[in-house]
Formats: sequence, structure tokens, C-alpha cells
Amino acid sequence: MPNSTEIITTLSNETSLIGTASTREVVQFFVLLILAYVIGLVIAHYLKLRLSHKLKSDQLVLLIRFVRVILILIVVSFSLPGLLDLSITILALVFVALVAIIGLSSQNVISNMIGGLAMLYESPFKSGDFINTNDVSGTVISTRLFSVLIRTTSGVYVQIPNAQIYSSDVSNYFAHVARRYEYVVGIRYQDDVKKATAIITRILEGYTYVLVHPAPEVFVNDIDADSVRVMFRVWFPSVWARTKDDISLQTAILPRVKAALEAEGIEMPYAHREILFTTPIVTQPGPGGK
Amino acid sequence: MFGRYERDFEYSDADVKLRIDRSGTIPVYTRDCNGAHVEKYLTGDYNAIHICPVEPVNLPEEITHHLEIAFPEIVLPPEVKQTIYLKFPVETGVFFEIHREMDVLDIFSFVPTRFSLYGRPDAGVITRWYRSDLYSCVPATDLHREGVLELALVNHCATTVEISRAVFDSHHMTIFYGERVGMTATMEVWSPAIAQTTFATTPPPGCPNRSIDLYTSQKFPVGPMKGYMMESGMT
Repeated sequence: MPNSTEIITTLSNETSLIGTASTREVVQFFVLLILAYVIGLVIAHYLKLRLSHKLKSDQLVLLIRFVRVILILIVVSFSLPGLLDLSITILALVFVALVAIIGLSSQNVISNMIGGLAMLYESPFKSGDFINTNDVSGTVISTRLFSVLIRTTSGVYVQIPNAQIYSSDVSNYFAHVARRYEYVVGIRYQDDVKKATAIITRILEGYTYVLVHPAPEVFVNDIDADSVRVMFRVWFPSVWARTKDDISLQTAILPRVKAALEAEGIEMPYAHREILFTTPIVTQPGPGGK
Repeated sequence: MFGRYERDFEYSDADVKLRIDRSGTIPVYTRDCNGAHVEKYLTGDYNAIHICPVEPVNLPEEITHHLEIAFPEIVLPPEVKQTIYLKFPVETGVFFEIHREMDVLDIFSFVPTRFSLYGRPDAGVITRWYRSDLYSCVPATDLHREGVLELALVNHCATTVEISRAVFDSHHMTIFYGERVGMTATMEVWSPAIAQTTFATTPPPGCPNRSIDLYTSQKFPVGPMKGYMMESGMT
């Protein structure tokens, strides 16, 4: 039986542990791995400092992950062949075979990943944008490698696979710097339409977030059974509107318009019907002479 | 109102009342203006309070850093330089100084804010919009509401151009104050649709004091001085 001193001496001599690899080579491989990990952390810190104000947080996280994975892959691809006594060609063949097997067995995963990379390149939306896709409307929380996380207006967490989003229509409501909203109010037939449009225009021009250009448009949109419908279109800065939902935007504008119209004697009509009888109506007393 | 104040200060006029109350355990900054009351508790040992005009793009919240001034249309013949004077809105910043560093405490204004879109919705910018008359000499202003922009228009192109608006990037603004609030800028016209606006760092007459640059005091990364390229026309 060898004593402990002999074992340590044996290990410290270049004993072959894996194939022809010595202890020193194995230790060297793990040291390089740790070094790559530490360098990855340093680069991640540097990228965060330099790019955090230029990239969205999810894009930055993806970039950092990518850099760190590449570093680890470099270490593995240069050290492992020597360690296992394999040539680069054999390793490449094994890698291709593995990719083929994984690809065939998990097509959805791969297609989601490719969808994620394609979206990262095309950037149809970014974190914080309000989008509609696959019958889901909500704010994008983050874009991940395989899926997009969305928070609906009612606070529900929805995860949609990237492949599904990439192959669907996506409406991004705040991709541009300004966005148009439309509102309609009904006024009575007897009310002065020109006066009503002038009042609405004055209210809109006095509201801070209604853009001066493109100017608000106020016009008669329809004459229906009960009212003259006056539509107004306004443009808001997206950076402000994206922080509001449609209801709070409505409540910011419509009550002001209603109050101003009513102050000038223009009222919102009740729904009413005028019924014409072709023959005279004879009324008869009911029970008890009523 | 503009200037440096010691740790205890109180200022009031018809428009605004500013005060630091040190009677309690924690100093309290209060502001009363436009019917609003603002109260902030101050921690840390500050040395002084500075009040000065700041880049007029901060209120009511951070929407844009571009200022657009619309003015009556001016016709500029080819290869001509013309200096005009415009008014711009004043926003007042209150800074507290700690160890020679400035931090923003409050920003307020007496001028209503409007926004506009310069360019197309998909490629333009949102601007803080202000309409000014056109002046051939320095106009009289209300110090707390309006500043004077001395704008040199230079037409480098071979055709006559019409100009009725100028867009500026507030990151490059240099504001001065004294008898009035002032800035000096140049608008170089390169084609009927393209012009570049830049700011000068020399104080205009009557405005010897340089304001604290808000973006410098907040340590925002600001690029080299290059101005703003107006690529969506000047009318």
C-alpha cells in the first residue's frame, strides 16, 4: 500500500489522468476556465459602465451573456482537444454532430432562439414598448433568447415564444416619437357646430401635451340619429403617452372638453326618438276613471 | 432672484416665494408659485444655494431636450448674414452646493409649456415649442419669464431661403444672466431644407454671469460641441 507521501509524489509527477493529459494540463484547463470567467465578469462590468445609457437593459444582458459564452468557448476549444488528445477536426465533427442531434430533437427551441436573434437584429420593439401580438396587448418587460415577456394592462404576466412573435403581426404603439389619438363627442342638432369646434380647438391648444405640430384636427365626423358627432384628433409625444393608458388619456382630455362645451351652452344630447302617428290617438279612461 | 445665497435664505416677489427653514431638525426648502406649494427636506451639509436660469426643456417633466422657437417668416438672400433677436422661455433652477459640487434641488417656470414635432413621426424629434416675435435689437423682457436669443443667420447656399423656426439641442446651450437672461447662437443654412444651429460660449452684452449647466451638474454624458442639424426644413 502506497503511503500519502508517495501518492502526492505520484500526482505531482506528470501522471496521465484523462487520456494522455497530465495533472498540470488538467489544472491549467480549469485555471483558464476560471480566468475566462473572471475576464468575462470584468468585461461585463466595463460594458455596463460604457453602454448602459446606450442599450436597453435586456439588450445589454444579452450582449454580456454572448461575450461571456464566447470567452468560455474559446478556452474550451483551445484547451480541450489537447486535454483529451483530440484534433480540432474531430472536435468540430463532434460539435456538428451534437448540434445536428440537438437541432433535430428540439426544433422549437432552435427556432425560438433564431427568432430571438432575428428580433434582436431587427428591433421591432424594445423593453417598455406597448405592443399587440398574438391577441395579447401589453408592455414588453424583456426580450429573452427564447421568449418575450409581456405585462398586460391588467398586470398579467405573459410569456410568448420568439418564433411565434417573429411569424406574427406585431403592432408597436410607441415606436415613433409621436402618436395620434382620436376622440368623439356628440352635440345637439341645434348647437352651433363652428362654435363647438372653436371651443374644442381652444381647449386642445391649452393642453400641455397636445402637440402644436401636427396641429389638432376638429371636424364633424357624422350626423347620427341623436347627435352631430364632432371628432378631434390630437398628437401626443410617445415618451409621455406610453406612461399612460388609453383611459387616463381620455380622462385627461374629454372632461375638459365637456365642461368647456357646457359652459358655452353646448350640451351632449340624450338619445331620443320622435314617433309620428299617422292616425289620431284616442285615449280612453282606465279602471276607476283614471 | 438669480444669484448665490447663503445657507439660510428667503426670497419673495409677486410671483414666487422661496425659503429654507432651518428651525426644525432637518432644513426644509419650500417654494410657493403658480398656486403650487413644493416642500423638500434637505439632508447633508450644503454650503450655499444657487438660483439661475437653466436650459428651458425640463418642465413639466423630461420629454425632450430640444427647444424650437417659431417666429415670423424671414427671407434670407444667398450668402447673407443677418442677426436677429428672439425671445425664449426661462426655466429657473435651484441648486444646492455641497463640497463645490452642484445638485439640482428644484426647477420651476412661469411660462406655460407646449410641445411640438419637428420632422416626421418616425424620424423627427419632439421639441419644447415657443413662439417669439422677431426683433432687430435686444427687446425688453421680463427677467423671470423670457430670455433673449441673439441668433446669427448665415445663408451658405446659392438660393434665397425662408426661415420661420429654429431648433436647438439643449445639451449645447450656454445661458448667461445679468440685466436679462441671454444666449448667443448661430444658424448656418446649408440648403433650403438643412441648417445647423450652434451656441456660442461668449456672454452676450448685459449678461456677465454664466448659468450652471444642468446637464454638467447632473454629470450627464454630453458629447462634443457640435450643435443640432435641422434636416426637416426651416418653415
